Amino acid sequence: MIDVQHLTKSYGPRLAVDDVSFSIGKGEVVGFLGPNGAGKTTTMRILTGFLPATGGDVKVAGFDVFDEPMQVKRRVGYLPESPPLYPELTVGTYLEFAAELRGFYGKERLKRVGRVMEQVGLVGWEGRVLGSLSKGYRQRVGLAQALVHEPEVLILDEPTSGLDPTQVMGMRELMRELAATRTVILSTHILGEVEAICPRAMLIAGGKLRASGTIAELREQAPGGVWYYLEVAGAQDREVGALAGVQMVEPLGIDGDFAKLRVRAPADPRELLFRAAAAKGWRVRALEQRLPSLEEAFIGIVGREG
Amino acid sequence: MKFVFTMWKKELRSYFVSPIAYVFLAAYLLIAGLFFYLGVTLTGEASLRVLAGNLAITQIFVLPMLTMRHFAEERRQGTLEMLLTAPIPLWAIVVGKWAASVTLCAIMFAGTLVFPAVLAYYGDPDWGVMLTSYLGLFAVACAFCAAGLFSSSLLDDQMAAGLIGAVILVPFWLVGRAEALVPDEWADRVRPLSLLYHLDSFNRGVLDSMDIYYFVAFTAVFLFLTFRSLESRRWR
Amino acid sequence: MNRNLQRRLATGSNAALVAVIMVLIVVFGYVLLEPFRIRVDFSATQSSRLMEDTQNKLRILEKDAIPVKITAFSAQEGKKEAYFKNRQLQDLVEEIDYASSVVEAEFVDFDRERLTAENLGVTEYGTVVIQRGEQRVDLKDRDLFRHVGKGADRAMEFLGEASVNRAFSQLMANNTRVVYALVGHGEMNPESREPDGLSDLGKALDQEHYELKRLDLVRDAKGGVPQVPEDAAAVIVVRPRVQIPALEQELLLAYLSAGGPLLFAVDPGGVIPEIFGRFGVAVPEGMVLDKLLVFPFPDRPVPRYRNHPITEALASETLVTLVSGVAPLQAAVPPREGIRSATLLETSRDGWIERGGELKGGNALFQPEIDAAGPATMALTLELGRDSGLVNRGQGRVIVLGDSDMLSNSLLTEGPGNLSFGVNALRWLVGDDGRLSVSGRPSAVRKLALTEEDLGQLRWVVIGLGPLLAMMVGAAVWSSRRGR
Repeated sequence: MIDVQHLTKSYGPRLAVDDVSFSIGKGEVVGFLGPNGAGKTTTMRILTGFLPATGGDVKVAGFDVFDEPMQVKRRVGYLPESPPLYPELTVGTYLEFAAELRGFYGKERLKRVGRVMEQVGLVGWEGRVLGSLSKGYRQRVGLAQALVHEPEVLILDEPTSGLDPTQVMGMRELMRELAATRTVILSTHILGEVEAICPRAMLIAGGKLRASGTIAELREQAPGGVWYYLEVAGAQDREVGALAGVQMVEPLGIDGDFAKLRVRAPADPRELLFRAAAAKGWRVRALEQRLPSLEEAFIGIVGREG
Repeated sequence: MKFVFTMWKKELRSYFVSPIAYVFLAAYLLIAGLFFYLGVTLTGEASLRVLAGNLAITQIFVLPMLTMRHFAEERRQGTLEMLLTAPIPLWAIVVGKWAASVTLCAIMFAGTLVFPAVLAYYGDPDWGVMLTSYLGLFAVACAFCAAGLFSSSLLDDQMAAGLIGAVILVPFWLVGRAEALVPDEWADRVRPLSLLYHLDSFNRGVLDSMDIYYFVAFTAVFLFLTFRSLESRRWR
Repeated sequence: MNRNLQRRLATGSNAALVAVIMVLIVVFGYVLLEPFRIRVDFSATQSSRLMEDTQNKLRILEKDAIPVKITAFSAQEGKKEAYFKNRQLQDLVEEIDYASSVVEAEFVDFDRERLTAENLGVTEYGTVVIQRGEQRVDLKDRDLFRHVGKGADRAMEFLGEASVNRAFSQLMANNTRVVYALVGHGEMNPESREPDGLSDLGKALDQEHYELKRLDLVRDAKGGVPQVPEDAAAVIVVRPRVQIPALEQELLLAYLSAGGPLLFAVDPGGVIPEIFGRFGVAVPEGMVLDKLLVFPFPDRPVPRYRNHPITEALASETLVTLVSGVAPLQAAVPPREGIRSATLLETSRDGWIERGGELKGGNALFQPEIDAAGPATMALTLELGRDSGLVNRGQGRVIVLGDSDMLSNSLLTEGPGNLSFGVNALRWLVGDDGRLSVSGRPSAVRKLALTEEDLGQLRWVVIGLGPLLAMMVGAAVWSSRRGR
């Protein structure tokens, strides 16, 4: 659906996006993850045809963004970082205008505006003036504007920034629904958001694509990786480490009889550990898998390379 | 074409739901009223000539104020992103915005129709001349809105856009007075550029093909430049 | 250079190029289309349209390709008058500038451009200098503007185009033709500046390139055989006081038969040349009067123009030709063979031929038992063909006027139409029909009938009403949107 090859964008001497390549398939939901100023917004603007690339090729739904911008624009819904609202218009007239911009007139226009308002939960708000709306509702109107033509690709730039926790929850819920039927790219600097919605994430920092993959894959790239926490009495760490299938054991501390151990293994060793404990009469108080947090992965990847 | 209509409708709505249009209208009618009153008391003639001549010059400074918000404001609000990522041709945005400004001007002119009524009540004005005077004012409005739109497309700051709009227009006014400054041959050569030169016939009841050409070309060139300036972000 | 940069450079330079080309096309288009300029005048007075005559002259000037320069100086700064004077001069200058490529017209501010004035030796405000090669004609304020009416109706008329038109004629003067005025029998003298002289007519004709000379057939012959000079374009006989001797009448007939045109002007009770009988024109006893008269002169009926090339333009501009004491004329009915007569001026239906009777309150009245009912003919033209026996070559043209005063200094410049009438009659006589036109078309200012009181009230309507309404609508919209 989206194919980006060696994308580069410079503002004068400053490289905002530096040789980024990725591709996103139909129906995928991908999170752009990165600190502020990493190049997320620039990349998205290039995808929507708002900005030209300095180098590289960008194809959306098979159309080159530079050569056939109209085809691309017809298929993309875009919510910029700050929702593009005319403060003097009312919600209704604004959305009707948005629908007309996408080529819907008359009854079709009204139908679509009605549906999209239902979708984002704006029913009953038609007459409100945009300038007087709260941040959460402004975001909803912005989203409605991006959805009115039911685009194949939805590009959302920081859709939850500035919202209060309940609004964030609502917005995430909404995005999850949307993700079911279309390709979605959303950018955020909040890791939890990606974790909550996106099966796949891309880590962008300093204009470069640092890592890409499913959430699990990203976690594994964290410096710590996956490990297992074991509290056991009656066993030396050496004895545990000698078990087949266990790579390495580090003692983390002693709590009475119990030794706290960090166990690393190429495959999940928990069953093996239980069996060994039963056979050898070890008393196991805790055994759990420890995943590194996305934050750890994030800091690890950005820190490692940058 | 329907996109032009969409833009036109939206811009007009934006004008008229916010106080600017009314403040503007009031200020414009006040200025026009003063000119008219002065013209009548000074000449005692049943004619709009003094008014039309002065209003045309006033518009050099007034109309850029009307158009300055167009692209500058869109950029500030971030709505330009929405317009430029929507599947609507760029020229339709430009023409739609221009048409809305021109419509607002037409409404301002309609507000001055009380003057011909006064003239008709107290005298016997030449309706043909008044008609062409208004056509001249309208032609000026078309041309100036295009130039104002262009300056708005260049600059992010509203006030700067308004100022530059006037700065673009002033030379076209002053060139008519060039005779006093430069040799005659030069003055003759640049005279076709002059606004006043092309307005004069309108105010005398005469439609001249070259005057119409001038204003149409003026408008077309600036609309085209606006289009180019917006489009340039596609390749700059 | 990567592909993307190439594409962007290509698009970018293309866009810049197209923008430059567009500007060039627009400029080029202007230059290309300018020769085909079309101007449509929507004003009620067609004030921008130059008169046919002026346009003709501009065309003739263009053929000669000698550059003509018109420099019009502004009027003295003052009140309304100066504003209108300057505006009308400016309009005229511009219109002439538009209309011709060989005539360059310019309006100059007398106060600001002293040097231009000094170079041309102009010392008066409102002077118009017209130069063609070495020749030069100056028009003064009094040639350009004239006041008509009195008191509140007093208005200023602009005669600029007519004056410029006449100046053009003067400048083009290279083929002056001679019109002879017969003298020796008490006729009006072309050199006399007295009220009954023809000096004004002479001046007017001079500007149209006719020279008005006196012709005394007997004395000028100086003992030789008297005859009408060969260079005569026409001979006019205005109000002879004694009968013209038979010999001289024969000479005039001989002149007519050779294709020479004649003009006669007679007065009621005056001498009627005997040759009128040969044309079939009778002058009945009495005087032409009309209820439609130039008040307060009972002997000045207002003539109606009949459809004729001479009066066509006058009729369309509705300019009155003044006459005073008119003899009635009668063309033979049925017309003589080979003679076509046409009425030029006549009275209205209320006119009559007064043949004496009572005066009531100092005014003559139509008395059916004595007077003859109108409309009465005051001037007529005759075209004589070869079958009339009077003409040997081509066609003879004769004009008979029932009044001589209309051509004299007393009325020629007083009546709005007299000058044109006289000049046009001469033009028609000598066959310059194409040049027939009104010599002066004044343009007046449309005044407002406003009193101080009206102005006071008006002030609030024109200045206050519009802004107030706009503010009120604005406030209504604003308050309705608050809290939404």
